Amino acid sequence: MKIISGFVAQFNASIALDESLIANKNNRYFLLNQNLKRLLRKELYYAGTYLGKTKDGKFFPSFSLLAMISRGNANKVIVDRKTAWLFICGRDVFQQGMTKVLGSRKKSSYTLVLNEYDECLGFGKITRNLDEKRTGLAIKNISDIGDFLRREQ
Amino acid sequence: MKRLKSFYSRFPNQRLMSGKEFFVKRYHSLGWNFEDVEPKQAIRINVVNAEKENVLRRLKLAGVKVQKIAFLENGYWIQESKVSVGATTEYLLGLYSIQEAAAQIPVTLFTELKDKMVLDACAAPGGKTVQLADSMGNTGAIIALDVRKRRLAALANHLERCRVSNTVVYQLDARQASKFGLEFERVLLDVPCSGNFAADSDWFKNRTFKDVERNAKLQKEILAEAYRLLKEDGEMVYSTCSLEPEENEFNMDWAVKNLDLQIEKIQCHGQNGLTNVFGKQLDASIENCRRIWPSETQGFFVCKLKKHGDI
Repeated sequence: MKIISGFVAQFNASIALDESLIANKNNRYFLLNQNLKRLLRKELYYAGTYLGKTKDGKFFPSFSLLAMISRGNANKVIVDRKTAWLFICGRDVFQQGMTKVLGSRKKSSYTLVLNEYDECLGFGKITRNLDEKRTGLAIKNISDIGDFLRREQ
Repeated sequence: MKRLKSFYSRFPNQRLMSGKEFFVKRYHSLGWNFEDVEPKQAIRINVVNAEKENVLRRLKLAGVKVQKIAFLENGYWIQESKVSVGATTEYLLGLYSIQEAAAQIPVTLFTELKDKMVLDACAAPGGKTVQLADSMGNTGAIIALDVRKRRLAALANHLERCRVSNTVVYQLDARQASKFGLEFERVLLDVPCSGNFAADSDWFKNRTFKDVERNAKLQKEILAEAYRLLKEDGEMVYSTCSLEPEENEFNMDWAVKNLDLQIEKIQCHGQNGLTNVFGKQLDASIENCRRIWPSETQGFFVCKLKKHGDI
């Protein structure tokens, strides 16, 4: 599953995924366990833990996969409550809303965005070197859990 | 049957047997006086994802005032809210689900769910599937079926949001479930039904008795198929959000007499099932079912069955 491990590596992270337990249905990837694996039939629509999908060669992660990455060492930014809410609403992260940075602080790195409870809210791309003590835009929102609501519209 | 015909003969001008008057008279003859109600909004905490106390504290911080639902372990009424409870961070992280209070009852009736093989035969949009997974602590396996693809998308979103990991979803008519060659220790049959006026303000305008009859037939077909898949000593919970006896007590009477299923006694919210309906005497065990007339909750019917032998 190069496409998944490649995506995970962008966060300076790695997760162990047993390839024999990954199911692919219409370019959507699911992580199973042995119990679920024996129950798979061709009419499959969804199974186990959804990992994400590929479209035009690009990987779009699920929020379950992002949460899995966030449990280990990875690029992470912890944000305050107000910033967390704005991020879920699709907004970018400003430097003044960040309370902690873990892992890469370099421009163009990908980073997970977590709230004060260490819960992963999504991910984004660092727009400038975070070592610079400045205010203003710091992380461009790429995907956030507010997407669950947007999908329903 | 004669008595049923006699009941319907009271409505000679209603060839379609529909409309508010027709149904309200039926409810009256079942012992309930119609009243307009607005069910209260309810949530259920997904305890596999979060400590209950933490979720309650966070909801309070967000301006959501809740009250414990007396008859549910993890259910809470929304008393007041400054925000939409369907758009909080906690909701989007799957720490709780919005689930009507009566609809939370069926899953709680299974005696043991951990490590079990469970069929959720009519699963979408997935509120009860997530509740099953939560009660199972994501152990065992749930096979979730639904026939309509559009509803499966909602089910998949629900499973992903609530971090469910023990479920396999198939697009399949519940009446064809045996094609998988699997057997189940627990079966949840939250069957397609005619619904009720408390959950749909246009219900009286849109529903006719023909719909009720059509749904009752479909429900019997699903029951028969689910019976084939249920292991000996396995448990089946049947539920509808319909108030119509044809979809509830009559179907359970049919199941007891034709499928060698026994109705189990249950302790839960609601009144006893009706054993004499429109003059027709039903099996005495039907009183172990629960009928919930609309008030704080929507209308609902639930019954727990156990398999003891073959057809």
